[in-house]
Amino acid sequence: MTAVTTHSLGKLALRTLLWLPPCLAAWYFSAHYHTVVVGALTHLLLDLMLPGIVSALEQTGTSLEFVTTLKVYPEPGKVGLLVPEVSTLIYTYGLAFFVALMLAANAKWWKILIGAIALLPFQSWGIAFDLLVQVGIKLGPKVAIQAGLFGWHLEAIALSYQIGNLIFPSLIPVVLWVSFNRSLIENLLGSQLRHIRPSP
Amino acid sequence: MLRFFILFIVILVSLFAAELTQSVQNAIVLPWTVALAKISANLIMLFDANVAAFGKILQSTTNGFAVSIEAGCNGIEAAIVLIAAMLAFPAPWKHRLIGILAGLFAVQALNIVRVISLFYLGQWNIEVFDWAHLYLWQALIMLDVLIVWLVWIRMLPPAPSGSDTPPPPPADAERQQATAS
Repeated sequence: MTAVTTHSLGKLALRTLLWLPPCLAAWYFSAHYHTVVVGALTHLLLDLMLPGIVSALEQTGTSLEFVTTLKVYPEPGKVGLLVPEVSTLIYTYGLAFFVALMLAANAKWWKILIGAIALLPFQSWGIAFDLLVQVGIKLGPKVAIQAGLFGWHLEAIALSYQIGNLIFPSLIPVVLWVSFNRSLIENLLGSQLRHIRPSP
Repeated sequence: MLRFFILFIVILVSLFAAELTQSVQNAIVLPWTVALAKISANLIMLFDANVAAFGKILQSTTNGFAVSIEAGCNGIEAAIVLIAAMLAFPAPWKHRLIGILAGLFAVQALNIVRVISLFYLGQWNIEVFDWAHLYLWQALIMLDVLIVWLVWIRMLPPAPSGSDTPPPPPADAERQQATAS
């Protein structure tokens, strides 16, 4: 019998609760470096979706500023380039949650590393669609039309933004945890199934 | 496993897209959010009379601090994840229905704790409120969904023979294997 089989759901929940505060602290204090990676990936994603719209990416702490080629007219006779800003923390906190879940399950370090990498595209999704909501919806039709966003694009952007903002950050860590810990879950559930199996 | 994930994603996206439509917002989301504010206010009034609920807003009558229960804080997204996970998992419909009802209660009960805790945290320290609101409680609610889902699976009746999951060996076979080894 391995240590894994002695786990119970209650212990797992308690261990996750205990690991969550230090993991959140570690994530928060290293978020600047994490933002560099997720920002670069978001830039690539935006280049694929809207080529030529984002000309440069600047980072201030955990905020990303996307320098776009879209023109805005703040005052009559003056032209500026639109530079939307996205705070990355609300899209990346799932990393801390994922690591807490994995540590609670005594997962191997390389699984945690692979999971952290697997989270990146989903975090980039959230950040990219946060930017696209600003460009396509919040800043009005003049900006949206410059970016070539209209009609069904706006519906798709709204849905994708909501998924990236409300669902992915907390759900994807759980999905990855389930994928990486199938034997643990089978042990957790299998023992109970044997308990309730009727006698022959 | 693959079948479960595909079904889960299809149900999740469908329910989530339905949630965003104006008709579902008017018929379910807004009334539930208003009810959530009222339930939270009534629970707070058991130990603190200085609170009032206006629509989906919960406000302190002493210092004016208020929290508005918005999307992501009304527990509906967590409920959608739980419903999708229970519908995607192979189980009898009766157990699915019981699981969904009990699970929704568990998720919303913790969500009320979240709303009440945030109401007080915001009056104490706005930075702590932001942290708890944006990061900590989001993770805790999803952990609640995960635990409820796992408990529900544990309470399912044994899978019938011929299903994907092989049944555990009977006690006699286990004893024979132990003797042989």
